[in-house]
Amino acid sequence: MKKQRSVRLPPALSAHGQNEASGQGIWSGTISFSLVAIPVQLVKAVEPGRVSFRLLHRKDYSPLSRRMFCPKEEKIVPPDEIVRGYEIGPDKYIVITDEELESVSPERSRTIEIVEFIDTADVDPLYYDHPYYLVPAKGGEKAYRLLVEVMRRTAKAGLAKFVLGEREYLVALKSTQGALSLITLHYSEEILSDEEIAPGGGPIEPEEKARLKKIIKEMTADFNPDKYADERRAKLVNLLKKKAKHHAPVEAPALEEEEGEGPVDLIAALEESMRKVKRDRR
Amino acid sequence: MKKVAEVAGKRLTLSNLGKDLYPSYGFTKADILEYYRRISPYILPHLKGRALTLKRYPEGVEKEFFFEKRCPSYRPSWVKTAEIPQKDGERMTVCLVNDLNTLVWVENLASLELHVPLARADSPETPDSVVFDLDPGDGADILDCARVALILRELLSPLKLDSRVKTSGQKGLHVYVPLNRKETTFADTKRFSKAVAEVLERNYPDLVTAKMAKEQRKKRVFINWSQNDAAKTMVCVYSLRARAKPFVSFPLAWEELEKLARQGDPEKLQVLHSAALSRTEKEGDLFREVLRKKQKLPYL
Repeated sequence: MKKQRSVRLPPALSAHGQNEASGQGIWSGTISFSLVAIPVQLVKAVEPGRVSFRLLHRKDYSPLSRRMFCPKEEKIVPPDEIVRGYEIGPDKYIVITDEELESVSPERSRTIEIVEFIDTADVDPLYYDHPYYLVPAKGGEKAYRLLVEVMRRTAKAGLAKFVLGEREYLVALKSTQGALSLITLHYSEEILSDEEIAPGGGPIEPEEKARLKKIIKEMTADFNPDKYADERRAKLVNLLKKKAKHHAPVEAPALEEEEGEGPVDLIAALEESMRKVKRDRR
Repeated sequence: MKKVAEVAGKRLTLSNLGKDLYPSYGFTKADILEYYRRISPYILPHLKGRALTLKRYPEGVEKEFFFEKRCPSYRPSWVKTAEIPQKDGERMTVCLVNDLNTLVWVENLASLELHVPLARADSPETPDSVVFDLDPGDGADILDCARVALILRELLSPLKLDSRVKTSGQKGLHVYVPLNRKETTFADTKRFSKAVAEVLERNYPDLVTAKMAKEQRKKRVFINWSQNDAAKTMVCVYSLRARAKPFVSFPLAWEELEKLARQGDPEKLQVLHSAALSRTEKEGDLFREVLRKKQKLPYL
């Protein structure tokens, strides 16, 4: 099974970032509260438009990989010699094992349990971390529509705890143009204090206030994000398209055949064993 | 033709039961479901907890097939799934065939072949065996694979590594070295299998190659060590294969392989569905140790 090395434009250059409309989600489970249970799938809501690059070795365009390097021994450290340390001071660490880490990780869960409904406007966007959509799974469409509609009318969001990957998140479920969105929220302890940010000083003159109010009023518009685009990205995509059209892409050499010899002791032991096999087979 | 079946209390609608999916042999979807139902006590332990790759033949073995790694979204709610992290950081939902219901459901999708990784979904970076995928090139056959497998077994035994062999159900053989240690990584198993393949190649240059290139493989057995990778799958033991006849990827005792190699009839190394059932029902699971035996790869 040869590794594919076909010429392929980065996804960013081909079609627009598509959501997996067929509903293959990142997670699937049930939204539940009171007597309500709605089967849903979690899918991504944003596709960051960042164009990313691989780092290559200039002389033959081999893609480079990262290795862990020990500056003291000046050598690469294999995975089985690596442990995690929490830094408590200069050159002082507390070592944490995989098992210990696992022991504090939450159980995987199949439910998004809404614990309370809050006013959407009460959540300062500072708390917003990452948005997803929830897609109704088979049989859940009706209850889903009902929840979306009622949350929209009442401008409420459901607050829930939700385990994704290794972490337990605080999330807000909101109605977004007929769909349910799920936004992971920062915990309040992650929000840095705004103390010392708001400057002190005397009272503000009413005339100054009025003047600024007027300016803001004149500049007021409906929020229309389509008006703005990442110009650097657009230029970069154009550049890549042009290059892809006029220049053959450089190709990295196949690597599977080129790795060095195996571990010396293992080879020696195998050769030793091999001699015996050949002797016995004679 | 549709039929609602009830398996272990779960209702399942089975479709196209009369469709002949092995037309030159005569083996319908109902026969396939019956095969997997009867083999289930033996195959399920080997599928359990592993991300299934479906290989579906909706129009039978002579027509087009497709791979499906994602668990179909229209799966019944009781199908167990796992989330597998992808290279791009996204996650993919995969089916886990942990019970008979799921096996029947998957077969109703005409996934004649069942392919699984060497690691379980909850520890996707920990292979529980090393595999030597012996693949005969043009001009070589399964008997050459048998020779290589027997040498391999002897080669590994002084290293205190016990191995098991199964037919691929196609042209090759698969030799498994059980490890079942959570410290093992694919980097280990790949280094190990590559070193072994290269030593074999050096000592039996006319019989063995460790290189992927087609030209090198002529009249030789290619030891595909690169299968020892988190991204690769192997056909599960006891899975049917999509060939003209419903052959099975089936475990052989080493003594039996020795005998068959001496007899020199490549056909005798193929095990049909019927023989697979009667043999497992009599002898049990010859591949059981692959899931149980703990061994350590030396010198890594």
